[in-house]
This record gives sequence, C-alpha cells and structure tokens, in this order.
Amino acid sequence: MRFLLASFIAVSCAPAFAQLDLSGEWASRYTWDYLERLPGPELGDYLGLPINNAARLKANSWEASTQTIPERQCIPHGSDYLFSRAGFPMRIWTEEDPTQKIIAIRIRSYAWSVERTIWMDGRPHPSKYARHTWQGFSTGQWNGDVLTVTTTHLKWNYIRRNGVPRSDEASVTEHFARHGDYLTLLTYIDDPVYLTEPLLRTSGYVLDPQQQLEPFPCEPVEEVVRPEGAVPHHLPGTNKDIDEFPAKYGLSAATAMGGAETMYPGYAIPPGPKQVGPPRETTAGLEILPVQKNIYMLAGDGGNITLQIGNDGVLLVDTGLAAMSDQALAAIRKFTDKPIHYILNTHVHPDHTGGNEAFGKAGNTITGGDVADDIKGLDKGAAIIAHRSVLDRMSAPDGKQPAAPFGALPTDVYHGKQKDLYFNDEPVVLLHQPAAHTDGDSLVFFRGSDVVSTGDVFVTTSYPVIDLDRGGSIQGVIDALNRIIEITVPAALQEGGTLVVPGHGRICDEADVVEYRDMVTIIRDRIADMLKRGKTLEQVKAARPTEDYDPRYGSSTGFVEAVYRSLSNHR
Amino acid sequence: MMRSIALALLTVACVCAQEEETAAPAAKPAPQKSAREEAPIDLTGYWTAVVTQDWRWRMVTAKKGDFPGIPLNPEGRKVANAWDPAKDEAGGDQCKAFGAAGIMRMPTRLHITWQDDTTLRIDTDAGTQSRFFHFRGSKIETGGPQWQGASAAQWEFVRTKIPPHMPGPIHGGSLKVVTTHMRPGYLRKNGVPYGANAVMTEYFDVTSEPNGWQSILLTTIIEDPEYLTQSILLNTNFRKLADGSGWSPTPCTAR
Repeated sequence: MRFLLASFIAVSCAPAFAQLDLSGEWASRYTWDYLERLPGPELGDYLGLPINNAARLKANSWEASTQTIPERQCIPHGSDYLFSRAGFPMRIWTEEDPTQKIIAIRIRSYAWSVERTIWMDGRPHPSKYARHTWQGFSTGQWNGDVLTVTTTHLKWNYIRRNGVPRSDEASVTEHFARHGDYLTLLTYIDDPVYLTEPLLRTSGYVLDPQQQLEPFPCEPVEEVVRPEGAVPHHLPGTNKDIDEFPAKYGLSAATAMGGAETMYPGYAIPPGPKQVGPPRETTAGLEILPVQKNIYMLAGDGGNITLQIGNDGVLLVDTGLAAMSDQALAAIRKFTDKPIHYILNTHVHPDHTGGNEAFGKAGNTITGGDVADDIKGLDKGAAIIAHRSVLDRMSAPDGKQPAAPFGALPTDVYHGKQKDLYFNDEPVVLLHQPAAHTDGDSLVFFRGSDVVSTGDVFVTTSYPVIDLDRGGSIQGVIDALNRIIEITVPAALQEGGTLVVPGHGRICDEADVVEYRDMVTIIRDRIADMLKRGKTLEQVKAARPTEDYDPRYGSSTGFVEAVYRSLSNHR
Repeated sequence: MMRSIALALLTVACVCAQEEETAAPAAKPAPQKSAREEAPIDLTGYWTAVVTQDWRWRMVTAKKGDFPGIPLNPEGRKVANAWDPAKDEAGGDQCKAFGAAGIMRMPTRLHITWQDDTTLRIDTDAGTQSRFFHFRGSKIETGGPQWQGASAAQWEFVRTKIPPHMPGPIHGGSLKVVTTHMRPGYLRKNGVPYGANAVMTEYFDVTSEPNGWQSILLTTIIEDPEYLTQSILLNTNFRKLADGSGWSPTPCTAR
C-alpha cells in the first residue's frame, strides 16, 4: 500500500523571516531534563560535565547544608545557570534611546526577582579589577537571527546544583534563537579553573503572554545553630553520599565523575590543554577605579591602594611598592589635586608600605590647636598611621633585617583594638586583627562610604600568605575573614552593600569574602584532620589538600606549609 | 524491513521571494536560486552530539518506567511500561529508538551533505540512519511510514526591511523542517513512544564560539495526540568536527 503524502506548498512558497525581537513573557519547558532542573540533581551526579579533578574534589567536599549559612541563603543562581538550567519564567524587554536605537536588552527572572542587563550599545567590558556580580557584565550583538551575548565578571557559582563549581574566572557566551513562540538558548561556559574544555548546554522557553512574575523576597534567617565561623563540608574521602548515585543507576563510579571523554559518542576525546593557573597580576598599568562614595581603588601597584577623597583631602590605605611610587603618585595627581594628609598601613610588608616615604613627602600633616605649621617635622609630610607592630617590624628590632628609611616609618601608632579618625565627613576606623597575615594587621572601615579595606588578610589572587615569622597564624586569618563578614552588610540578593577592597585583586563584596573564608576554613579543617592522624608535613603536601582550589589560586606550597606549621605550632 | 522512499519533487509555480533585495517593478524576475544556493547558513560537514545534559537517558538505556518529565497520557504510559526490547528484536524493530523523533537525541555523529540542489541529507552513524530534508514544495510519495518519515524544509531568512530601531543590516537565517509520516517509534530508548500521527518541527541554527567551535543549535517540537498530553520542546546541540575521521556507523540496537 502506498501513501500519497501531502504537498508542502504552504511551507515553501512564502518567504519566511526569522524574528529578531525577543521581547515577551517566556515560560520554561521541562521535559528530558526535568529531574536536574526542578527537584535538582542527585549528589555525585557529574555525568556529562567536562570537569577536572579540582572540580571533582570541590564537588565531593560540598555539603548541601552550606546553603543554610545566612550569608548564602539569598544568593541567586549565576546568569549562566539561572537561564540555561534553572529556567524560571522570565520577561524580556528592550530599552531604547530617543531615536529608538536599542541600548540594552533587559531580562527579569521570576527567581529572586533577578534583573539582568545585556548592553547592546557597544560599550566595552569593565576592568579586571572591577567588581564581579551574580549576573556578570553582559554585552550582546545579533549574528543573523541569533542574539549572541558575552558575559564576564561573574562571581563564583555552580554549573550543577550539587556542588559542581564554576569559578569567578569563567566567561560565558550565550546564543538566543527565537522561532515563533519558542526561544532556545545555547550556553557556552569557558572556565579555565574547573573545565578541561568549554561546556555547552541548551534550554528552551515558550511564549506565555498570560504569565505573571510574582515577587520573590528573600530574608536570611538563622536556620542552623552552629559554632561561629563553621563551614559545612566533607573532608576528602569521607563523602559517602556520592557513592549512591552510580550504584542506583548501574554506572561505574568513574563514569559518574564526568569528564570530557564521557560527553561524546563512542570515542575518547584527547586530553584537553594542560591546566594552568590564572594569569597573575603584573605591575604594569595602573588603574584607579571608583568603589563607592568617597572611596577609590588604585590597582596594579603590587598591593592595592585605597583612596578616600573628599573636601578635607586625600587619605590613602597602603602605598604599594617603592619602585612604583612615582607612577602611582602621578596617577593620583592626575585624578585629584587634593593634598594627601593621611596614610594608613594595613601591615608591614613592602608591597603595602613601599611608597610610604614618597607619598608621605608628597603630602602634609594637618595641624591645629597648639601646633603651628612652622614646627619642624610636623609640616613635612602626611601622617602615617599603623598598628604598633608595624613600627616595631619596620624598625628591625630583631636585627635580622635592616630598618626601613626613617621617612617610611609610621608617625602615629595605636596599641589597642582600634583607632578612630574622622576625615572627609566620615568615621574611619582601624581595627586590629592580631596574629593573622602578620601580627600588625589592620582592617580599615570607612563607615560613611561603607567600604572595608582589608590589606592582605583577604586577597582574590592567591591563597593567604601567612607570615609566621612576623606573627601570623591560620586562625588569625580566619578570624580576620570572619570579622570582615561581620562588618559587611550585603544589599539585596547577597550582593553589593558594603564593598571590600582586598590587599590584591578586584573590588569585592561580602559574598566574595564568604567564598574565600569557606575555602580557607575547609583547607584548615583538612590539614587539621591530617595532623590529628599523625601525618607529617610531607604527607600532607602529598595528599594535596588544596587540589580543588589550585587552578584558581596557583601554588599552595607555602600556604599548606604555613597552615601545617601554624596548627602544629612549629615555627 | 525498511521500504525505500520514492520521492517526486515537483516544482512549485509560485515564486519564492526569498532574495534580500526587492526587485525593480519592471525588471524580469531573476532566475530562482536553488535551495542549496540560497542557504543562509552552512550545515554541511561532520558534527557530533555533545551530551552534557540528560546523559542518563541518552548515553545509556534507562530502565523501564524511567521517564520523568515526559508528558505522556495514560495510553503513552501504558505503552512505555510495556516496553520489551526482546520483543522488538524478535520483530526486527531494533530501530524504533532511531526514528526521526529519537535519533537527534542519540549520542550520534551527523554527516550533513546536499543530496541534490533541493535535498539536504543527514546521515547518522548511530543506527546508520539517513534523513532527507526536501525544499521547494516537494510532493512526496512513499511506500508507507518510515523511521525517518517525510521532511519538508525551508530556509528562514533574517528580515531585511528592518525596523528603524534595529541595529544595522543583518543577514543569516535558520532552517525549518517539518516531519510527518513517521513509523511509530521511541522518543527514548527505554520504550517511551510516539505514534504514527506525530508531527515534528525542527529549527536548525548555527553558532560560532569564542574558541572557534561551531555548533548546531537544534530546537525540536514534537506533537503527538496519541501519546502526549502536550507538545514536547527539546533543545539539542551538535559541535562541528574537523573531518569524518571519527565516523563509526553502528547498527540499531534495542537495548
């Protein structure tokens, strides 16, 4: 029996035109991927993900209750997960200038009421020192009927909602294709920290004009009472939950652990490029970035320099490397002609105090009361303030190292827990953090501008450096990180609010410090556990307790050794 | 045993005005370009499925009854729960999961070529199947429903008379394919069914990635009143391969 099939004249005669307007209310469709996207993936299911061993260790260490930490409860999905995996209902509209040129495409998700902007006006992506956010910074352009979006400046997040990480070094490319009432999204995630090759995945939406996006409020509460600073996680090799998944579905444990070779039909993909750490900062190229209100950050000069600028003049937190002083000073002079009155040192190291002398000479001390400006020595430079330990260390009391030049020494030290200033119409508070990065660390909190400058107790470019010889300790670093978290108050969705200028790296907020605190605490716990089991330093190093973070933070040799010695009190 | 499809491609009288520029009123219409010539995107070459999601249902055969998220009606669930691969093998129906509505979700490579100026052909190495996309009002005569059904194709071009607020002239487009007359088969290898009256609409887009990769972004809508309570929307991607060195045809399997 033969069939005469219908002719397809209707679909072939009229020219068909693709659609370029993505505006509308879009609802997700969950079919094959329902289990992963709604109830959530099972623990230990890393199937089909091109992840490396570092990602596996981080995922295996992940404990779901970490999401009950108040600082994590209101964290939304990153844009690469929210729209490609979570797939909540969303609204898309355009923003136009008076000539109807599209400036931006806006997307609002039901989830957390997140609003995302895709800039269509050709603006560049921000500096590498600029703050990262959950949704990142996105620019778009049309390629035929496909909108291609490039996103950078993302905070840490996950590529699967069972702890498989995506780092803050990742960049994401998205392709939106609309066909009538259907919208398809292809997401390409390039993460040099945790992926051996880019991850591609797709999701789909259906136009739903009747859709309403309900409010999605989130208010952190204390869900679980736990010791201060405790971070839920599994020690390496102790997470038995991940064994259940492969057993349940008859898969090998190795298969469940994912990898690029598992994603393709029938053949093994050659190994990806050798994993390397992210590029380190160079001292070339100074940038001054606004932080918020009175506060700016000068980056690229070894350690970051924080600037507070107002009617009273300029206050600096740290002064960078001595070798870069002239360039840094020129950059500041180009930015403001206000006089430098104060220099605050967060700690003793030369990448933060190296410019003391040059900056001090360039500034001047505010005098008043009985002090006249013709008193020699007081009118010849900015005041340099630090904890007393900084002066002690710079004065070389142990005789092991030469003293710093007299002009670089702090002119004003404090001995107790804190020192208060009032400058440029806001309180400036130095908070001593004993035995942390060194024994003379200060956090500097600008109360009015709502910014904390941390010195090297918090950096985004490496593991913490614990200077045991100068009185540092792992517990002091963790205490300092928890102190920063106490001080900072995030705005909505655990983002923004109090901003943080780290000793090295980009502008941050509380969520970045939480991620870093968790990392330091987890590694401390791992090494402490090994110490308890009688492991030697060499055995601890061989066990690679930092493997899941090494692609992000680079060499951990010094850090592991310092933690080990700090915990065992072997200096 | 598969029966061959006899195709009679009729030229349709109407002029398909798919050129980007509007011709002058008095000018003679230019000779119509073939579907191959006017292709706004290049789909030809070797491509591989990239199974980064739904791995457990695509790379291996899930257990009977494991079909969360598929909007099956009671009859569909009944058929799926009665899945018996031994029976399929005995009946020569090992290719039920390799039909048009299932094959593009398989872990397969694609080899896409032009069969002729109006027929785009997709070969898959999984199951060694061939799909034929017919352009230009083809009238298809066939000996009966086949695993790959009958597929009518058309290019969708980017609008050329753009509204003033669109940012500059743009080109490109996508491929739309409507497939009917499929022999009943499986959406998933573990017996999730689609019926003889299922209609599958597909859109093929091609994208370029920062590292030089090219991808096919495939949007699939399957409507099947026999077994589904609502249409299914599937999104699948393929990555372009440098050559066919990995091409490895394998026969259909039921398990």
